[in-house]
Amino acid sequence: MSSPFSINGGACVAMVGKDCVAIACDLRLGLQALTVSNNFPKIFNYGDVYLGLTGLATDVSTVAETMRYKVNMYRLREERQISPQTMANLVSSSLYERRFGPWFVSPVIAGINHTTGKPFICGFDSIGCIDFAKDFIVSGTASDQLFGTCEGLWEPDLGPEDLFETVSQALLNAVDRDALSGWGAHVYIIEKDKVTKRLLKGRQD
Amino acid sequence: MASMYSMPSTTPGYSFPSTHPMTASGPRQHAGFYPYTDNGGSTLGISGKDFTIMAGDTRSTSGYNINTRYEPKLFKIGGDGPKNEGATIVLSVVGFAADGHALKERLDTVAKMYKYQHGKPISVAACAQRLSHILYDKRFFPFYVHAILGGLDENGVGALYSYDPVGSYEREQCRAAGAASSLIMPFLDNQVNFKNQYIPGSGEGHALQQRMPEPLPRHEVEEIVQDAFTSAVERHIEVGDGLQMFVITSNGIEEIYKDLKKD
Repeated sequence: MSSPFSINGGACVAMVGKDCVAIACDLRLGLQALTVSNNFPKIFNYGDVYLGLTGLATDVSTVAETMRYKVNMYRLREERQISPQTMANLVSSSLYERRFGPWFVSPVIAGINHTTGKPFICGFDSIGCIDFAKDFIVSGTASDQLFGTCEGLWEPDLGPEDLFETVSQALLNAVDRDALSGWGAHVYIIEKDKVTKRLLKGRQD
Repeated sequence: MASMYSMPSTTPGYSFPSTHPMTASGPRQHAGFYPYTDNGGSTLGISGKDFTIMAGDTRSTSGYNINTRYEPKLFKIGGDGPKNEGATIVLSVVGFAADGHALKERLDTVAKMYKYQHGKPISVAACAQRLSHILYDKRFFPFYVHAILGGLDENGVGALYSYDPVGSYEREQCRAAGAASSLIMPFLDNQVNFKNQYIPGSGEGHALQQRMPEPLPRHEVEEIVQDAFTSAVERHIEVGDGLQMFVITSNGIEEIYKDLKKD
C-alpha cells in the first residue's frame, strides 16, 4: 500500500481501432483511502500525441511539465510537430536518465502518425522500457482489472464510435472494481483529422 | 481483503506467537514448517433462471512450476457412491488445493449424512449455511480457499453462494475467484449484471435509465464463461491448460471440458 505507485491511485488505457486510437483515464486523486480530488485528469496533449500518466501524482505533474518543455524545444528546433514514435523514444530516454531514482509513473502514449497515417500506441515501465502493443495498453492501480476487461471486450478494426464504447466500458467497469480509481473519466477518440474528447460521469464512490 | 489472499511472507498465518522462539540459539534443526501453498488457478460461477454454471481451469501450480495440467477444482457434493451420482450441488475451491480437498470431503460427508438421516437430499440453502459453519470452525487456522457453491434452490432457480476463507458468505448472480479474479470479475459485472450500461435515449443525465440485469440463457452464459477464461489465460500465468464446466439443471449435472492454452 505504501508503494509510490499506489498512494494516489488512478488508471489509464489506450486502444487501437481502424484508422483511429483511443486513450482514456479516470479523474481520481487520493491519499491512500482518502479522496482528495475528483478532477485530476491524467492525459496530456502534445500536438499530435497524447500522453497518459499514472502513478505518484507529484511525478505525474512533473513528468507532464518536463515533457511539455522538451516537446516545445523539439518543435522550435525542428519546426514541426513531434510524431508519436519520436515522442515514445523521448519519453523512454527521459525515464532511463533517472534509472537509479526513477519517476514513479507508468506512461501510455496514443496518437496517429501524420506522415504514415497509421495509429500508434505504446506503454512504458517507470524506467523507460517500451511496450509496443498492437491492441491495447493499460496502466495504473486498476491495471489487473483493465487487462481483464480489455482482453474480453476489445476486437480488431473497431470504428471510432465502437472504439469509444469499448474503451469506455473497459475503463468504467475496471475502475469500479478498484477502490483507488474512478470518480469519472476522460476519453479521447483520435482520428486522422479529428479529436473527440468526452467526459464520463461514472460512479461517484 | 486483498491481504487475505496474498501469502504472509516469512511466518505462518497463526494469530498467536510462533511455537518456536525465532531467536533460538544453536544450529537450526529444520526449516520452518509452512502450512500453506498457493496453487493458483481461477474459478467462476454464474446462475441463470433454471441452471447454474460452475467453471474452473485445471492447472495446478506452485510458484513458477506446473504440478499438473489436470487437477479439477470442481467437486460434486452429495449424491451416491464414489462418483457422486445424482448429485445436484457443486463446490468449487481455489487457493490451497489440499485445503480445498479437505473442505470438499467434509462438506460431502455432511451432505451424505443428511440424506442418510433425513431420507432426502440437502437443499442448497442448507448446504450453503453448513459450508459457512465448516469454514468458521477453523477460524484461527483457516482453510486457505475461496469457495463457491452452486445448485438449484427450492423453486428450481439457479443458486450461487460465494465465501471468504473464514465462512462469510453471500448469494449472488455471479462470482469469480482465485488468481485471475481481479481480471474476470469486472468483465462479469459488465456482461452478466450489465453494469455501466444504459438504455439509449431513455433520459438526460441522472434520468438516464440503467439496463436492468435479467437471467441469461444457457448458451450465452457458456460463451461468457469461455471468453472470461480465454482472456484470463492470455494475461495470467497461473491460469490455463483446461477448462472444466459443470452445468447444473433439473436433469442433473452435465460436465463439459474444453482445452485452454498450455503455455
